[in-house]
Amino acid sequence: MFSRGFWTLLTGAALIWYSTVTVYVGWKGIRDIKEMLSRLRPGPK
Amino acid sequence: MNFSWPIDGSIVGLYLLATMAAGLMVRKYVGKVEHFLVAGREMNVYLGIASLAATEFGVVTCMYAAQNGYRYGFAGATPGILMAAAMLVVGLTGFCIKPLRESGVITIPELLERKFGPRIRWAAGVVIVLGGLLNMGMFLRTGGEFLVGLTGLNPKYLELTMTVLLLFVAVYTILGGMLSVLITDFLQFVVLSVGLLAVTVLIIAKVGWGTLVHAVETHIGSGGFNPFVHPDMGWEYVLFNALLNTAAVLTWQTTIARVLAAKNAKTGLKIYKGTSFFFVCRFLIPGIWGIAALAILTPDQVGPNTLQAMPKLLSTIVPVGMMGLLVAAMLAADMSTDSSYMLTWSSVIYNDIMAPFRKTKWAEKKGLLWNRMIVGLIGIFLLFYGLWYPLKGDLWTYLGVTGTIYLSSISVLLIACCYWKKANSWGAAAAIFFGAVIPGSFLAMEQIKSTAALARRIGPYYSGIATYLIVGAAMVIGSLIKPKPRPARADTGGSHV
Repeated sequence: MFSRGFWTLLTGAALIWYSTVTVYVGWKGIRDIKEMLSRLRPGPK
Repeated sequence: MNFSWPIDGSIVGLYLLATMAAGLMVRKYVGKVEHFLVAGREMNVYLGIASLAATEFGVVTCMYAAQNGYRYGFAGATPGILMAAAMLVVGLTGFCIKPLRESGVITIPELLERKFGPRIRWAAGVVIVLGGLLNMGMFLRTGGEFLVGLTGLNPKYLELTMTVLLLFVAVYTILGGMLSVLITDFLQFVVLSVGLLAVTVLIIAKVGWGTLVHAVETHIGSGGFNPFVHPDMGWEYVLFNALLNTAAVLTWQTTIARVLAAKNAKTGLKIYKGTSFFFVCRFLIPGIWGIAALAILTPDQVGPNTLQAMPKLLSTIVPVGMMGLLVAAMLAADMSTDSSYMLTWSSVIYNDIMAPFRKTKWAEKKGLLWNRMIVGLIGIFLLFYGLWYPLKGDLWTYLGVTGTIYLSSISVLLIACCYWKKANSWGAAAAIFFGAVIPGSFLAMEQIKSTAALARRIGPYYSGIATYLIVGAAMVIGSLIKPKPRPARADTGGSHV
């Protein structure tokens, strides 16, 4: 019984965590890309 | 089959166009080898998390995790839990990866050279590439089989479809290196995650959570919930996976590449902590798809190849429209993994295996050209190896055994390099030798008719555990038996280095 409850809880936690992280990382990742490219932009020689 | 070419095909086409555009857009930022291999070490936390997650989730991951779910029930997600735990602990403590990032190297063998000398660097590079490429060799065919099962594509077009896909990936990886990999990984992470979550919710809604749990109870029994009591798993499965996943967290080249491309060690640790729980999802979500196949499909419908159970289920359960999203998600998974794997193995070939041929520093242009050629050659290898190697046993075990060729020795070398003063080149050489020979022999025994039965009796788990133990012992014994260099006498005028 315990192990069945464990997997139910773990699956619920995985779905909630993954949905949240997808939105959060998707949003913040765009900022990271912009910053990275601005630092790597080829400058005048 | 619910794949509609006008609707789902358009979604897939749009995704492929966006990926190519993003991948090619950043090629102008690549001016140096360091930009090509580690994105100029300018990667920040969230991009790192997206890239690591996308890289470590390929179609091949989805297939073996679903196969685990089909065969072992929920207990099949055990490797994911072990990997998440290992990654969290390493992220919290900085064990090995902190000194690795702080050393400023591009690859692990480069760090090993500082402790064990150039020969060990070269040998480490060879086993890393050998283990990595054998591991990666399965990706293309498995990805193709998934797409055939899912979309109903004629199997005779499998090779052609996968060749075209690989060409797409090769073009942007060759031109943009790690920068293209990171940008496309980000896009692929978003598409992949939305697709995975949408399909999982759909499956749970259509099949029902109770039905999934009941299917595991009736078909597998208590072993489907607890790996220690499953007849095909047991403590040896758990221990082998604990060792394998810990070693992977410390030394798997695609994972380490994110630490080395991070802005600093602190960012690298944050990426590890932030991504750790993803590895539970990486096994559990496709595992649920596999369990759903167990609940819905009869053994006759699945056939002898249990890898095909999950795609067969999805081809009937996922509606038009969502099927396009699913195929795009799986292509995203496949492409992000292929691009990153091609780049990271090429970085070891260039940085370590070719090191003896670069006595003087090469011009950036020449270095970039060589890196691009190596990525292209790896693509060609993938194409041919993936088509002729006959897979025996389950996919996760094949990946575990080939990965062990280098994970066992390089993890021991890295730990010794960072934390054991007495470690030396004899111990390192012995560890590399045994780390390559034991799993390599096991793979050969599986393929040879006269030894196949013995290989089956030993099994991959005992063979894997023995490899890690013997490699550790080889490092200790080899290091202790190496004679200490005699100090030069002062009256000879020798130096005291």
